[in-house]
Amino acid sequence: MKKIAVTFTTLCTLAVLMLGCASNPAEKDLNDFRDYYSKRFPDTPTNDFINGVYSIDKGSRDQWESLEEFPPYEIIIEKGEKLFNTPFKNGKTYASCFSVPVDSIKSSYPYFDKKRKEVITLELALNDCRKANDEEPLKYKTGAITHLGAYLAFQGRGKTVNVTIDSSKESLEWYNRGKQHFYAKRGQLNMSCADCHYYNAGNRIRADILSPALGHTTHFPVYRNKWATDGDGMGTLHRRYGGCNKQVRAKPFEAQSEEYRALEYFHTYMSNGLTLNGPGVRK
Amino acid sequence: MNHAKTFTAITLAGLLAASLSATAANMNDFTKAEADAKAAIDAAAAANYEWRDSEKMLKEAGKAAKAGDFDKAVKLANKAKRQGDLAVAQAKAQKDVKGPH
Repeated sequence: MKKIAVTFTTLCTLAVLMLGCASNPAEKDLNDFRDYYSKRFPDTPTNDFINGVYSIDKGSRDQWESLEEFPPYEIIIEKGEKLFNTPFKNGKTYASCFSVPVDSIKSSYPYFDKKRKEVITLELALNDCRKANDEEPLKYKTGAITHLGAYLAFQGRGKTVNVTIDSSKESLEWYNRGKQHFYAKRGQLNMSCADCHYYNAGNRIRADILSPALGHTTHFPVYRNKWATDGDGMGTLHRRYGGCNKQVRAKPFEAQSEEYRALEYFHTYMSNGLTLNGPGVRK
Repeated sequence: MNHAKTFTAITLAGLLAASLSATAANMNDFTKAEADAKAAIDAAAAANYEWRDSEKMLKEAGKAAKAGDFDKAVKLANKAKRQGDLAVAQAKAQKDVKGPH
C-alpha cells in the first residue's frame, strides 16, 4: 500500500513538473493567438501579417505598394542615420550604449530587464543613452526619436521579432498587464484593443478596414498622412496607442508609461518569429 | 368668482416659485457638484481608467460658472461626475479580463 502511495505521489510530482515546464502561459497565448488569425484569414501567409491591413485587403495593398515605391519615410531614415552617428558633446555616440551591432538593435527590444525589474523599449533605451551622456532626453512620440527609430528599424529589416517572456514573476506580471490592457474594454465607447484588432479584424469601421493585431509592431515607427498635417508624419508605437485610446474616448497614457510599455511587451511578443519591416507607411 | 381667481393666481404663483427654486442653481450648488465630479474623476484616474472628456467637461462647467450660468455649470459637472463613476465601474468590471485564451 505504501509503495503504491509513493509511486502515485512521484508520478503526480513528475506530471506537475512536466506541465510546469511546458506551461509558460505566454507560449500558450501566442499559439492560440496565431491559430485565431490563421483561421480568420486562411489566405494570408503568417509572415505577411507584418504588412498590417495590407495583408488582408488587396485594394488597400495596391495603393500601399505604390506609396512604397517612393516611401515618404526615406528622408527620415537619412535624418536618423545622421543623428545616430553624430557625437554627443562628450564625443561618444549612440552606438556606445548598445552592445550589439546596429542591425541588431531594433530586434533586441522590448525586453524585460531583470535588474531594473521593468520592460525596456527602444525609445526608452535611446533616452537612457542620452541621459547617460549628459544630453537632454527626446520627446517620446514624434520628432528625433522617430528619426532614430526609423533608421534603426531600417537597419534591422529582415531580423525576426524575438521577445522573451521569462518565467519570473515580474516578467509575467508585465506581460499580463499588457495582455489585460489589450483585452479589457475602456473609455466612453467601452471598447478594447481586441474589439477592433482581434475580434473584428478585417471588418470595416466607417471607411477603414480594421487591421489584425498580429504583425502590428513589426513596422513601427510609421508615417501616416494624418500625422503629416502638423509634423513630418512620423510617430512611434506609443503615439499610436494613445490615438487608439482617444478614439474609444479613454484618456490616453503617457508615451513610455508602464501601461504602454507593458502593452508593447505583450503586443510584440504576439508577433514573435515574424520579420521586422519598419519603418512603414500606414493609413 | 373672485375667490376662484385669487386661488388660481396663488396656485400659479406657487407653482412658478417651486419650479424656479427647482431649476435655478447657485454658486453653492456648483461648488458641491464640482467637488463631487473631481472626486469621481480622481477615482477613475487612480484606477487607470479615466475617460477622455471628463476633465474637459469639468473645465467647461467652471467656465459656465464664471459666466454666471450655474444651471449649465451644475449640469456639466454632474455629467463629468457620471463619467467618473461609470469609468470606475468599468475598471471594476474589466479588472479580471484575461482574453479569450
